[in-house]
Amino acid sequence: MSELNSKQENLRRRVERILPTVVKPGRYVGGELNQVHKAWDSVRTHFALVFPDIYDLGQSNLGIALLYDILNKRADVAAERAFAPWIDMEAAMRDAGIPLFSLENKRALSDFDIIGFSLPYETVYTNFINLLDLSNIPIFSKDRTVEMPLVIAGGQAIYNPEPVAPFVDAFALGEGEEAVLDVVNAYQAWEDKGGSREDLLIRLAEVPGVYVPSLYEVNYHGDGRIASIQPTHPSASLPIDKRIMAELPPPLTHFMVPNVEVVQERVSVEIMRGCTRGCRFCHAGMVNRPIRERSVNDILDTLREGIRQTGYEEVSLLSLSSSDYSQIIPLINGLGDLLREQQVNITLPSLRIESFSGEIMDALQDLSPGGGFTLAPEAGTERMRNVINKPISDAEFFDTVREIFEHDWNTVKLYFMIGHPQETLEDVAAIAELAKETLQIGRRIVGGRARIHLGVSTFIPKPHTPFQWAAFDDPVSIQEKISLLHDRLHGSKVKMTWNDPMASQHEAWLSRGDRRIADVIYKAWQNGARFDAWREHFNIEIWQNAFEDCDLDPDFYGKRARDLDEVLPWDHINAGVKKSFLKRDYEWSMEGRIRPDCRQQCYSCGILSSFSELRLAHPDGGWKCP
Amino acid sequence: MVDGSAPDMNPQEDITRIRVLYTKGESLRFTGHLDMQRIWERLLRRSSLPVRYSQGFHPRARLNLASALPLGFVSQSELLDFWMNEPLPINEIHSRLSNTAPPGLEIKEVSQATLSEDALQVQMAASEFEVEFFDPQDPEELKEKVDDFLAQDTIMRRRRKKLYDLRPLVLEINVLNRENDEPALQMKLKAEEGATGRPDEVMHELGYENTEYLVCRTKLILSNTLAKVSITQ
Repeated sequence: MSELNSKQENLRRRVERILPTVVKPGRYVGGELNQVHKAWDSVRTHFALVFPDIYDLGQSNLGIALLYDILNKRADVAAERAFAPWIDMEAAMRDAGIPLFSLENKRALSDFDIIGFSLPYETVYTNFINLLDLSNIPIFSKDRTVEMPLVIAGGQAIYNPEPVAPFVDAFALGEGEEAVLDVVNAYQAWEDKGGSREDLLIRLAEVPGVYVPSLYEVNYHGDGRIASIQPTHPSASLPIDKRIMAELPPPLTHFMVPNVEVVQERVSVEIMRGCTRGCRFCHAGMVNRPIRERSVNDILDTLREGIRQTGYEEVSLLSLSSSDYSQIIPLINGLGDLLREQQVNITLPSLRIESFSGEIMDALQDLSPGGGFTLAPEAGTERMRNVINKPISDAEFFDTVREIFEHDWNTVKLYFMIGHPQETLEDVAAIAELAKETLQIGRRIVGGRARIHLGVSTFIPKPHTPFQWAAFDDPVSIQEKISLLHDRLHGSKVKMTWNDPMASQHEAWLSRGDRRIADVIYKAWQNGARFDAWREHFNIEIWQNAFEDCDLDPDFYGKRARDLDEVLPWDHINAGVKKSFLKRDYEWSMEGRIRPDCRQQCYSCGILSSFSELRLAHPDGGWKCP
Repeated sequence: MVDGSAPDMNPQEDITRIRVLYTKGESLRFTGHLDMQRIWERLLRRSSLPVRYSQGFHPRARLNLASALPLGFVSQSELLDFWMNEPLPINEIHSRLSNTAPPGLEIKEVSQATLSEDALQVQMAASEFEVEFFDPQDPEELKEKVDDFLAQDTIMRRRRKKLYDLRPLVLEINVLNRENDEPALQMKLKAEEGATGRPDEVMHELGYENTEYLVCRTKLILSNTLAKVSITQ
């Protein structure tokens, strides 16, 4: 046995010994059905895909599954998975000197060529750097040497990459299906030629959609606002355009089937990507443009094949707004046949109110009688709904509610946000009234079986949205609004759940952070922050102290409304929607002016001008832009 | 059925009860009993065998696992029954199950069971296990510990706050001398409903923590000898 192999065997054995001492050890063993396991020495490039939260969540992530499939289809690449160990496992690993390892070959992450982190939301940032540390890889990009793995990141959060820029060698912006292979090619070409780590980074910067933060310089005004963001190397482009797929790539059917329970175990198919509604708070709706649809036949074939390959008993449709899918009725009818034939169930994602017809409900009824129905008006008054560009009148809303109960659904889930720009206490109180009235309507139609769940989250201004300039509400004010809702709902039997205002504030700080906030993240991690997305682990004091230690004012990032002329930390990132469009939309919101769905009329958001050539080259891409 | 009506019933004589002997390998070591049931439901769905499902909006395959295996153990000998709406050649069933089984679950034997038999859990009488140690052991010392254990009449232990006597649940313990000179243990424990011995409890009584050894179930013994259960390695 070679020295390396025995070192490897040793790691495997040491892991085996600690597994009986931790909760749910099945998270750490791999070996699932449809896992791809390649002999370590049989491939040239080793690519670790890491989701910085526990297996239970990460294993359900469709993005990771897609990239895993794409990378492993290449004969010269092995993609292996790693997830964050839970607190007990991390402690046991650190005690036993076990580094973070991949599930397939049980190799230390430092043995890989490329490590790709998925960063879907800001609250995984401390886990992300914790995993670098657990892999014995320097946390700061500048400290890594030529023999260490390349650390890249992608995902929805990194449309503002700056808060984690010092930790990441290169970001892949936008849709990763093609970009990930371009990164591998650039890496291999660099290996062939030989060179320094900087040579590698420069090569990567030349890949479309790849942002190498160390090749840019940020200058600040005295008050902390940004003066300029400039490339420091000719290969670094400005702006950096996100990548998109001209048409949706072939859907995944080869899902892995976990051996222990995870949050989502089902065959999921993306029925469309992007959204045309233009809700002004919605990050996903802005950064995932343009809207591209998959055909009904493609969707049904995918589900059938996915069931055949997994044996899952549940299927799900993914999109930002399924009822906007242009072929929704044929799809639902096709699904009905499929469900009966395969004896499986379906879960349905978000459905919009105004696109709901009795016809859709008639068809849906066939799929999942009973159960709950989810509506997301997001604001309590018509005025407020115009401000956020989710226009629907109270009358239309109640018509829909009536229709739902008449179609024999008993439970309605209502999602609202508080803390919107221009929000008054009357707007908040109206949420309670709307929920109570919904319950009354339900009682009149289905009697005592009617149930209303009210989910109240807090608005967080997000980069690349029309509300990117808006102030985040004060936690004290948010708490008052939650208390107001409690008072108004007292004795009403409407069940309410809400977010911790402090957790929302934390997310708000990071969402619109600049490069300097990386030090705060690092400090917070040093002081024990991790699993910030988990209520039982999130600790606001650690973060407040970290800001203080770094001599930064958290209100600068949260409460402060940005000046419309200010250079924003993510201005060098082109998500496809122009800043001028967002600015105009923000101004419209202040006038209470709505912008209708853009499938009727193009408002030149910037997508078509950014990707006109791509669209011309793929006339059958399923784009729904006019 | 979506319209709520009952499906066409198969004639009773076509319903077939199939018994499967299978392994639970490394990658399934930490998959618990409920998760094993789900693994089997999915395996059966993938196999496209004419499995009998329950009625309603969440149809589930009718299946029956003989005996829960404690978390962390592997097994060469697990038993399960499932039911089909129509008969198929045993070979065909065997190959369809094998083709869709996940890593670590090897289909060793497929047979037909009589419909009138009791559920497997009810038929369970005893289990045999082998225990391998991660670290080298002194065979003499081990033998002494085992002898001391067996010499006792009662061994009172507490598990999940319940006091019970472990000793009558232990039918046999032997020290095996393996080819590699590393001693292992072989034990036979009672596995009746409400009176099931656990190897990890025995090991703890012998002075070993669960991080020091690996347990493999080697044999299930059913009380109903008419049922086909010749399952030795």
